[in-house]
Amino acid sequence: MKTTLLQKYQPLWIGVAVMVVLPVLLPMIGLTVNTASVVVILAIAAIGLNLLVGYTGLHSFGHSMWFGMGAYAAALAQRNLFADQIILPILLSMVFVAAMALVIGMLILRRRGVYFALLTLALVALSYTIAFRWTEVTGGEDGLGNLVRGTLGPIDLDDSINYYAFISVVAVLVLFFMIRLLRSPFGHVLVAIRENQERAAFQGYDIQRYKLISYVLSAVITGLAGALSGFEHYLVSAETTSVAFSGELLAMVVIGGMNNILGPAIGVMFYILFREMFSIWTGNWLLWFGLIFVAFVLYSPGGIAGIWGQIRNKLRPAPEETAAMSRRKIYDGLPLPGFLRPEPRSGPVLQVEAIDKSFGGYKAVNQVSLTVDSGQIHALIGPNGAGKTTTFNLISGMFPPDGGAVRLNGNPIEGLSANRIAEKGLARSFQITNLFEGVSIYENLRLSIQAKHTCRYNSWRDIDSYDDVHEHTEELTKFLGLEGIEDINGGDLSYGGQRLVDLGIALASKPQILLLDEPLAGLAAAERERVSSLVRRMAENIPVLIVEHDLDRVLSLSHEVTVMNQGEVLMTGGPEAVRADKHVQEIYTGTGTPPVTGRVAGLDAAAKPLLVIEGINTFYGKSHILNDATLNIRKGEIVALLGRNGAGKSTLLKSLAGLVPPKTGSIRFDGQELVGLSAPDIARAGVGYVPQGRGIFSGMSVGDNLALGRLARSTDGDGAVVWSEEKILDMFPRLKERYHTAADYLSGGEQQMLAVARALSGNVKLLLLDEPFEGLAPAIVEELFTVFDKLRQELPILIVEHNLDLVLALSDRVFALERGAVFHEGPAEALLTDIDYRKEILWL
Amino acid sequence: MQFVFLMEQVVNGLVLGGYYLLIALGLSLIFSVGGIVNLSHGAFYALGAYISIEIAKVFGFAGGAVLSPVIVGLLGILFERFILRRFYRADPILSLLVTFGLAMVGEQLIRIIWGAAPIPVSLPQDLKGPVFIGDFLFSKYRLFLLGVVIVVLTGIWMLLNKTSFGRVVRAGIQQPDMVAALGIRLQPYMTTVIVLGVAIAALGGALFAPITIVHPAMGAEIITVAFVVVIIGGLGSFWGVILAALLVGVVRGVTIYFYPAAGAASIYVLMFLVLMFRPRGLLGERIEKFE
Repeated sequence: MKTTLLQKYQPLWIGVAVMVVLPVLLPMIGLTVNTASVVVILAIAAIGLNLLVGYTGLHSFGHSMWFGMGAYAAALAQRNLFADQIILPILLSMVFVAAMALVIGMLILRRRGVYFALLTLALVALSYTIAFRWTEVTGGEDGLGNLVRGTLGPIDLDDSINYYAFISVVAVLVLFFMIRLLRSPFGHVLVAIRENQERAAFQGYDIQRYKLISYVLSAVITGLAGALSGFEHYLVSAETTSVAFSGELLAMVVIGGMNNILGPAIGVMFYILFREMFSIWTGNWLLWFGLIFVAFVLYSPGGIAGIWGQIRNKLRPAPEETAAMSRRKIYDGLPLPGFLRPEPRSGPVLQVEAIDKSFGGYKAVNQVSLTVDSGQIHALIGPNGAGKTTTFNLISGMFPPDGGAVRLNGNPIEGLSANRIAEKGLARSFQITNLFEGVSIYENLRLSIQAKHTCRYNSWRDIDSYDDVHEHTEELTKFLGLEGIEDINGGDLSYGGQRLVDLGIALASKPQILLLDEPLAGLAAAERERVSSLVRRMAENIPVLIVEHDLDRVLSLSHEVTVMNQGEVLMTGGPEAVRADKHVQEIYTGTGTPPVTGRVAGLDAAAKPLLVIEGINTFYGKSHILNDATLNIRKGEIVALLGRNGAGKSTLLKSLAGLVPPKTGSIRFDGQELVGLSAPDIARAGVGYVPQGRGIFSGMSVGDNLALGRLARSTDGDGAVVWSEEKILDMFPRLKERYHTAADYLSGGEQQMLAVARALSGNVKLLLLDEPFEGLAPAIVEELFTVFDKLRQELPILIVEHNLDLVLALSDRVFALERGAVFHEGPAEALLTDIDYRKEILWL
Repeated sequence: MQFVFLMEQVVNGLVLGGYYLLIALGLSLIFSVGGIVNLSHGAFYALGAYISIEIAKVFGFAGGAVLSPVIVGLLGILFERFILRRFYRADPILSLLVTFGLAMVGEQLIRIIWGAAPIPVSLPQDLKGPVFIGDFLFSKYRLFLLGVVIVVLTGIWMLLNKTSFGRVVRAGIQQPDMVAALGIRLQPYMTTVIVLGVAIAALGGALFAPITIVHPAMGAEIITVAFVVVIIGGLGSFWGVILAALLVGVVRGVTIYFYPAAGAASIYVLMFLVLMFRPRGLLGERIEKFE
């Protein structure tokens, strides 16, 4: 933790050294002191811009607007108010720029990403036309000339070396200020916003305010450079606010390196030297500068300052992530750190009363109520699409509920913004890992602790001077079992480690209640055990509301369980009551009485398998979804893929279709290896895929949708399968009637038929269906069932469906998946009729 | 008579809108299929103008107007293959930076080849002079341009909506994975659309050369206005772009009539007004990637 002044202000010392030698060095290569002044002025401007681009992650393509505005404001102030002075006009110009940046920032910071960048681009174009055309004020084409540098006491600023010294002093002040700012709590929040704005909001930071302050500071620094530039040239012209100059400024930042405080200054040096050197040889120096800029964006996003790091990484690559996890020290059985314990209280902590949310016409959450008492672990369970995560989102302020009330310790919090809710003491983790990837584990956790500290807006004191924040962070790191690997970047961690950090970020913001969204998903067995016991220890002091698909574990963990199905609460009760409840079992395992029957079992064990999957492993980023999955499908049968949510069923279908290619393993299909082929090639080989949600192309008719199915796949009947349009329309007479209707206007059942019909169009020999009965009325289900039953004669089907009664009645064989591996395979019949056997295999 | 003048400004505004439209439409197309905001689009427009001038020296105005988009389109193939293709699934900010740099390079190339001075282009003989429609006096060439813009728009609309090419493109914008799962390789379609986008920009450059100033920075000038049009219309919306281009043209035309110096500024003010009330533009939809 100890940093010497030498280390802490290292960029400042380097900056001072360079500024001292610059007016000596430049004349030696034939340049002037004035060039040195221009270098320092542009360096100030670029460092100001980099506060926004590099540290806050907001890409301004229009910062020359502030450069120009600062210059014009100072010039006008000198002409109209403070004749012959230099300090007062500059100060007034800074105030003016700050006021303008505040107003404009409030308008444009409502947008982010590309929209923000384009808005800044449009703004600079606007400021240029104002500067160029508003002749009465700006002097139009001629600009404002005859500026006066004047004197500072005995110092005559008209002397170029004196003016250089003056600028250098300003630059040192700016650099000093920037170092303080970036080392302060405020500066660290800016980096957090750059890394992951959403997460920062859920930590309780008012990100709009941070961004606005950053924007204003950035504008003021760049504007200050503009004012200095005006006096340097004794002239302000519209060129200072042109789009081209904006681009050059941004290019300097990118080339120099935006992850380094001095990077932009290096970029400026490069730019000026490049210009001065090359313009002797050729008038085309800007062409080469542009090419270098493009090359940096393509090959070295870290700029010149980042090249060293890139080389070092090449020579000595970072250690493997799994190895990293093994370096940590785990202390079992540590109690929750004292600073995280809220005041003990009894009774309800979180009360959710009848909240609703609709998306379009679809009621995702309908009249959901639940109460979490202090000292409790409250589980929220239910099948996929039950509305659990949406409920979390409503409670935590991701979006407001349409109706109903949410109370935290008796105070209403519904409809508040995420950061306000977090501030009041509700913290959450995320189902999809959501952390600050570019900063260390330690910093990830520390940011959360800082969010509840009074210092969170402090932009002057060094973060290292807050001992309590650091003590707390170290304590928490130890509690989570992350000690020893604090310095590793969040993004370099293995998936399991990232889940743990995600949990830690939520815990670190000292919540009154903790919402955990699938904290165990994707963890290895030992790690699941450890995280469960962590949760148990947290819950001794902080009540926990937890969504988890590992039913065994979550039921053994929790005191109270709320079961959701189709957006509604099915029941609330103790874990034993829930385990024994017939309705709950039914939503997971079905009733044992299929709504439709009529299966002609096509079991023929001797038939040659059409598809053989052997040991495939598939990943989403770092998350290992399919784990040596192995299965096969024969001609003439329907095979069902069973398993809990997140077991990897949909991923298996996508791996087959080539949409999420497996990393290892083999898929033999009709004598052809599919692993390594692209999705279009697999489709042409005869695999038809119907995704969950149907994937209908809207705005196109039924006929157009079908035509797209046939467009690239041959229909010549190769492989003895001929799916002509007539044959398909005979199979689906409803589609024939609706042939010219836009697909958007079809009913859900018709859309499903269309999706199947489209998947069949072409020489299709195997059909993959993902949740084909989802959200359909019983009559439609029956109709589709019959169609699939008939299709069995034509081609084998692999089906994923959560309605077990239905899918078991339809299929011949089943494969059950758990954590990406097949743990059961066998005929469907036994599971269909013997409900006890079914429960044994599929329930708890 | 006041009304007649005003009407003329409106019609001139429409022509101006058509001019923006040719650039903005290509931008919007490239944006829709690739998710890429192409800041170098203006460079293709400028190249279109310069190349058409060269070709016109041999083959006349019509030859230039036809061949220049073809040549620029061929450049577009290289552009897609070696630059854009790397960025389809990347952070759009990266493509913004790269195309920004390319715009710089393009402008400098033009400066090197053709010099910094503006090049005068005369109107083709057959299209000189005015036309009277009732009381109104119009320039023949401007009406011709309006006609060409309408033909191009109709053509693009037909291509996107009435051909199987267009169906694949639209399906690819909605659900690229589903298109792949039907056995269709999207890549050649994307290349074609991008080539089409830059070719339209080049056509704009060639056709508007006689009534604007042909100079190296013409691309940089048009690109900001084109983006204003696309932002007002809504990123990725066909009809939004058309509506916005006409609106911007007319607003600018009318402002110039009353207060010439504010002509350029008026469109930015319009953009801010629109964004205050419709943050994603007039007909824009929410696209997660660009937020």
